Amino acid sequence: MAQYDLVVIGAGPGGYVAAIRAAQLGLKVAVVERERPGGVCLNWGCIPSKAILTSAELYEAVKEGERHGIKTRGLSCDYAQVIKRSREVADRLAKGVEFLFRKNRIALFSGTGRLEGKNRVVVEANGTGARQIEAERILIATGSGERSLPGAEVDGKQILTSREALLDTEVPEAIVIIGGGAVGVEFAYIYSVFGSRVTLVEMEKQLLPGVDAEVARELERSFKKRGIEVLTGTRFHSVEKFPGRVEVMVTNGTEIKRRTAQKVLVAVGRVPLSGGLGLDTLGVEFDRGYIKVNQQMRTANDRIYAIGDVIGPPLLAHAASEEGVVAVECMTGRREQGVDHLRIPACIYCQPQIAVLGLSEEQAVARGYDVTVGRFPFRALGKAIAAGHEEGFVKIVAEKHYGEILGCHIIGYGATDLIAEVGLARTLEATTTELGGTVHAHPTLSEAIMEAALDAEGRAINI
Amino acid sequence: MAIEILMPRLSDTMEEGKILRWLKQVGDRVEVGDIIAEVETDKADMEMEALDAGVLVEIRVREGESAPVGAVIAILSEDGVSGVAVEPQPSTAAQPQVSSPLPLSAAQEREQAHAAEEGQPDSIERRATPKSMSALSSAPRQEGIAVRQTGKGAERKVREIRESRMRRDLAEAQPTPERVLASPLVRRMAEEQGIDLSQVRGSGPGGRIVKHDLEAYLSQVRREEQLSQPAERPETAVVPLRGAKEQFSRMRMTIAKRMAESMREIPHFYVTCEIDMSEVVRLRAALQASDRVSTEVTYTHFLIKAVALALERHPRLNASFVEDGREIKAEINIGLAVALEDGLIVPVLHQCEKLSLLEIAAQAHALVERARTGKPTSEDLSGGTFTISNMGMLPIDHFTAIINPPQGAILAVGAIKERPVVRDGQIRVAHTMMVTLSCDHRILDGVAGGRFLAELKQLLENPVGLLV
Repeated sequence: MAQYDLVVIGAGPGGYVAAIRAAQLGLKVAVVERERPGGVCLNWGCIPSKAILTSAELYEAVKEGERHGIKTRGLSCDYAQVIKRSREVADRLAKGVEFLFRKNRIALFSGTGRLEGKNRVVVEANGTGARQIEAERILIATGSGERSLPGAEVDGKQILTSREALLDTEVPEAIVIIGGGAVGVEFAYIYSVFGSRVTLVEMEKQLLPGVDAEVARELERSFKKRGIEVLTGTRFHSVEKFPGRVEVMVTNGTEIKRRTAQKVLVAVGRVPLSGGLGLDTLGVEFDRGYIKVNQQMRTANDRIYAIGDVIGPPLLAHAASEEGVVAVECMTGRREQGVDHLRIPACIYCQPQIAVLGLSEEQAVARGYDVTVGRFPFRALGKAIAAGHEEGFVKIVAEKHYGEILGCHIIGYGATDLIAEVGLARTLEATTTELGGTVHAHPTLSEAIMEAALDAEGRAINI
Repeated sequence: MAIEILMPRLSDTMEEGKILRWLKQVGDRVEVGDIIAEVETDKADMEMEALDAGVLVEIRVREGESAPVGAVIAILSEDGVSGVAVEPQPSTAAQPQVSSPLPLSAAQEREQAHAAEEGQPDSIERRATPKSMSALSSAPRQEGIAVRQTGKGAERKVREIRESRMRRDLAEAQPTPERVLASPLVRRMAEEQGIDLSQVRGSGPGGRIVKHDLEAYLSQVRREEQLSQPAERPETAVVPLRGAKEQFSRMRMTIAKRMAESMREIPHFYVTCEIDMSEVVRLRAALQASDRVSTEVTYTHFLIKAVALALERHPRLNASFVEDGREIKAEINIGLAVALEDGLIVPVLHQCEKLSLLEIAAQAHALVERARTGKPTSEDLSGGTFTISNMGMLPIDHFTAIINPPQGAILAVGAIKERPVVRDGQIRVAHTMMVTLSCDHRILDGVAGGRFLAELKQLLENPVGLLV
C-alpha cells in the first residue's frame, strides 16, 4: 500500500497549491482528483469565464470604435468561437497544473476519494476499482458545487448553471438570470454584450449582497444603462418550459412578473462538497455542510485538515490557495497564525469591474470603528477620461484617528488590478498617509487610489 | 542650523573609535571635502571627510579620546554662527523643522514630515541617520562623513565597508535596541500614545511589530496594572509600566533637550503678582449671556488680549537675546502651552496686536483644537515671541515656567480662586489669580518684568479696556 505524508483530496486552486507547498517542504504528497486538476477555478469558473469576458470586452470595444473614428461594417460575433477559445485556455492551464505535479513529484490519483479511518484514503476510479493509500495527514479540498434551485431543475438546455453556460455556444435572444451575485452579474454582462435581452433577478435589496452598498448601487445604475433589467428584492417563483422558450415567473412579494426567454441561468450560490467523504465517523464537525476548522485549518480530528470552499466563505480561489499554504505550514510546525480574511480581495469581472478588500463602510461602523471615508470618482481622472472609462469610483474606508485602512471598494475599469496596491498597504499596515503620500504615475487609473486615500484625510487634490 | 557629526561605523566590528587628531579646530571654516579628523578604529586609521560646509563650533571628543559609534563628536554650524553649540530655534518646543538645506534621506524626510505633522520637531538636523531609520539610505553617506583610509586602496576599502554595511543592514532581521521594525500604523499609534516600541515583541516578518503585537502588549500592560492595582484608579490612555525604562518619544526628547538648554543658557529670574479677576469674571459672564456673542470667551482669551496689549507697551518683553543685543520682535505672536499625554505642544496665535478679544477667542479655539488632535499646521507651531502657560484648570496657586528659547519671557498662570483681599482697609472676597513671569536676565532686568506685570494687572483689573 502506498504511503504518503500528506494526501490532498481535491486538486482545485486550494488543493493543488497546498500539495505543491507541502512538496516544497519535503513532504511526500499525493493528490486525489475525480475530474481534471485545476478544479472549478480552472475548468468551470474563474479562468474560462474570464476568457469569455475578455471576448465580450473586445467585442464591446470594437462596437464602440465609431466614437474613436474606427469604422466597422457588418460586425458580428461567432459565439461558438468565443466558447472554443475559452476551453482552449482552460485546457492549457489544467495541463500546467499536471506539469507542476510532475515537477514537484506529487502523485496524482484519478478517482473519487473517501476516508476510511484517519490515515487511509480509498480512491475509486471508474472501471478500475478501488485503491488504498495511507497518509500521515489528510487535507480535504473538495470545494463546492452549484446550488440548485427548487422548481428550476437544470436540464442543460433551457435551464443552466454556470457550468453549462460556459459550454453553451448559443446566445439566447433573451435570458433570465436568477441570482445577482458574482456569477450572475458576470453572465449578465456577457450575455448583454453578445446581444441577449437580460433580466437579472436578485432576492436581496441590492445586487452583490454583502458588497458595499454604494458600489452595488453604481453597478445597478450601470447595468440599467446597458439595458439589463435588474429586479432586486425579487424571488424566483416558477418556470414553465415550452419548445424554444421558457416562461419565468418572479415575485417581489406583492406581484408576480412574467418574463419570456429562451434560457434561465441559475446562479443562486454554491454548496460545500463535504458529503460522502466518510468524515462523519471520524469526529469531523460541520456547520451547515461546511467543515469546521480552527485557525490552522485543522478539523476536530487532528490528523485531518480542510481548506477552500468546503470550509465556507469567502468562496474564492485565492482564499483557498492561501488557506492551503497556511494548512501545510501549520501542520509542519512552521506557522501558527491563520488566514487574515480582511486581507483577501474579492473581484468581479463584469464591466464595470468590482474589487473589494476588507470591511465595507457598514461593517466598519458595525464593528465600532470611528470611520472616515475617502472617495474618488474616475470621471475626475485624466486617464479614465482619455480611455473612455469614466464609470465608477474608489472608496477607501479608514479608521479616523490613525488612518488604518479598513477596506477598499472599487468599481470601474481596471478595478481588479487596482486593488492589489491596497492589499499590499494593508499587509504592511500602511495608513492613508502612506497610501496618499505615495507618488503615483500620471496619467494612470491608480491615481484614484492615492486621491481616495488623500480624501480620507480631507486633502484630495483633484476633486 | 547645527549639524551633529557622529562617530561613524567604519567596520563591521567597530564599536568605538578614537580621535587621533583634529585637523580642524573650533571656529574653523569647513568646506565640503575637507578632511576634519583622523580616527583610529579596530581595523585601520581613517580620515573623516566633511560632506557639509559650515563652521566647526564645538568639539566634543578631544584628541586621544574615544567615543562609541553614533556618539556626537563635534557640531558644525551651517550658518557659520559660531559660539553657540546648538543654534536656538525660534519659538517653542513644538517648533517644526521647516527647511532642510541639504537633501535628506527618504527616511529622514518622513520622520521630519511626521514630526512636523505631530508637532514634534528636532531642533538639530540629524545629519547622521540613527539606525532606526533607513540604514540603506544613510549608508552611502556614511553618516554625513566620507571616510577615507589613509594610504593606498582607500577608495576600494571605503566601498567594501559600505557594501558590507548595506548587506549587514539588509540581512539584519532581529530587532536590536537601536533598530525597531514596526509598521507605519504601529509607529503612528505608538508615537501618539507614548509607547516605547523596543518593549514590544514583533511577530511580523523579521520581527516587525504589527498592530496585533501592539494590542497584545497594551493588554498585557493593562493586565499587569490591574493585578498590581486592584483599587479604582482614573483611566488613562497608557498606564506606565513600573520598573520599566520608558524610551522617550521624539517630542519628549526635544522637550528634555530644549528645557535643559534653556535653564543652562538663560539666567532666569521670576516676578510674581496677584491679580484681581473679579471684573473679568463679571465681564465674561456678561459676554456669555449676550446673544450677540456666539464664541465662547475663556479667561485664557482675556489673558492673551491683556498680554498682547501689555507687550505692545513693553516691547522689550517681546524680544530675543541675540549675539550682543536684543532683537525686538515686530509681531506679537503668543504661544499657548497645551498639555498632551506625555509632552506638550505650544501652538502660536499670530499677530495678536491686530486681534480683538472675540477674534482671539475664535482663533484660539480652532488653534488649540488642531494642536490637541495632532493636526496643527507648521505655521501653528512656529514664530512664537512670548508664551503663556496656564494651569488654571488645576488647583495650583502659582508656579514658575521655563523660558522657551529664543523667547525672552514666559507667563505662568495659576487658578482663579476666591481669596481674601484687603480693599480700603477692609477684608473682602475676590476672584484672584497669581501670575509669575520668568524673564531672561540677559535682556531684561527685574524692574522691566515688574512693570510689565503691573501693566498686565492694571489691564485685567479694568477689563473694559480689553474690549476696545
